[in-house]
Amino acid sequence: MTKILVVAESALRELLRRRSVLVILLLLPLAFYLSRRGDHLGQSIRFVCLGLGWALSTAALFAGSAARGIEPRLRLSGYRSAHLVLGRLLALWTVGALLSAPYFVLVLVDQHDVRYGAIALIMALTVVVAAPFGLLLSAVLPRELEGTLVLLTVVGLQMVMDPADQATRALPFWFSREIGTYAIDHTDGGYLTRGLTQGITFAVVLTLLVAVAAAVRLRRRRHLRFA
Amino acid sequence: MNHDAWLAALTGELRRHGVGPDLTGHVVAEAATHLAESGEPPLAVFGPPQAYARAVADSLGGPDQRPPRRRPGPVRLGARGITKRYRGRTVLDRVDLTVRAGEIAAVVGANGAGKSTFLRICAGLVSPDAGTVQVDGALGYCPQDGGTAEFLDPDEHFVLVGAGRGLSRGAARRAGRTGAAALDWTPPAGTQARHLSGGTRQKLNLVLARLGEPDVLLLDEPYQGFDRGTYLDFWHEVWRWRDAGKAIVVVTHLLNQLDRVDLVLDLTAPGERAA
Repeated sequence: MTKILVVAESALRELLRRRSVLVILLLLPLAFYLSRRGDHLGQSIRFVCLGLGWALSTAALFAGSAARGIEPRLRLSGYRSAHLVLGRLLALWTVGALLSAPYFVLVLVDQHDVRYGAIALIMALTVVVAAPFGLLLSAVLPRELEGTLVLLTVVGLQMVMDPADQATRALPFWFSREIGTYAIDHTDGGYLTRGLTQGITFAVVLTLLVAVAAAVRLRRRRHLRFA
Repeated sequence: MNHDAWLAALTGELRRHGVGPDLTGHVVAEAATHLAESGEPPLAVFGPPQAYARAVADSLGGPDQRPPRRRPGPVRLGARGITKRYRGRTVLDRVDLTVRAGEIAAVVGANGAGKSTFLRICAGLVSPDAGTVQVDGALGYCPQDGGTAEFLDPDEHFVLVGAGRGLSRGAARRAGRTGAAALDWTPPAGTQARHLSGGTRQKLNLVLARLGEPDVLLLDEPYQGFDRGTYLDFWHEVWRWRDAGKAIVVVTHLLNQLDRVDLVLDLTAPGERAA
């Protein structure tokens, strides 16, 4: 546990010291929110949640890429790959929670007649999904540019595709549209259940995939044997 | 420069000139006594510490460059039949290396001869196409570049790497700062790695490799960017680690150090060597 916490603390320090990145991260969801506030208040909630997901995924992507240089050394120093993954996820989830809190307050103040609990749930699931999603992209696509383009594609598709289309369920943030409909349009609980199921499934699968990718990349090679 | 600062500088310079610890202590004690009795400023009496240390070393006939004789211990690292191909080209062809406790092995060769690849294979970071590496004890690895986190300061690096070795925060910081002092470096608190010069970052890299006192040290040209004084400090440290029973593998292209090591693994292709 100490090792996970030390990795989390170090990752958190690194993230918090990228001040300009933090400012952009903080403002990006606001831009999404304001872009739709004029025509449809409910739509602005859906957009701010997507903005949060995009911002945190991008932060995770860059954090994962930046860590590639030091992770082999940490592995040799006695860390397991699970320590490194869980520590970094813990840091990103903390940043995500801090990032989401002011937007939840904004919704509380600015929006009425919506289910606030469900909106808090969307934000929490967005944070839980976005962190491993960004880390997975950094593991699969070592160059940041490719990862950023994939993120751009995913969030763009999430915005323009019809949520009723079956194909959109394969997108990581589909749950935010579904639970959003439940929260904003006061639909039946089916939307909540479907969204929750998809969100939790993605969170679990993405976290497992990140752990597997790290375990493979940082595995002890078979030719090396310790006496 | 006051007495204490001058004497501390003299101690470091004598060590860099290869003067042994006993004689260094004797020379420094004599100088301290003289300064205390005369009350004169050290620069006026002895001149700059670098020049005085050089004069002392010259009077002794230059630094003793012979490695001390000792009996090697058990095998700590055994690489057998290491073969590696990149895009159809064989970079390493059935390479063997055995390093015992208390030995320094230098890995030399031309650019592209596979020196760093060999070390990465020994560290288990890259798989060979054939061959095995047997290690007895804990491994410490200093990469040629990278290996540090841009936004963390040296103390935070010590804590992060130290925790992996099972060191507490305090113990990791102390060990890191002691290792840094041996390289004549005082890590600045709060200065992130990205703001350190190339040579200073390599010092951090080297100190991190040593944290937790690993039994086998793999050093990939760790002195890049070092000034002359730090370079000499580095070799003195390597000899000290060897004398403490560590097995050390150093990738180097500076052939003037080869008489100071116990083994040399030349990865230059036979054809190129003949040419």
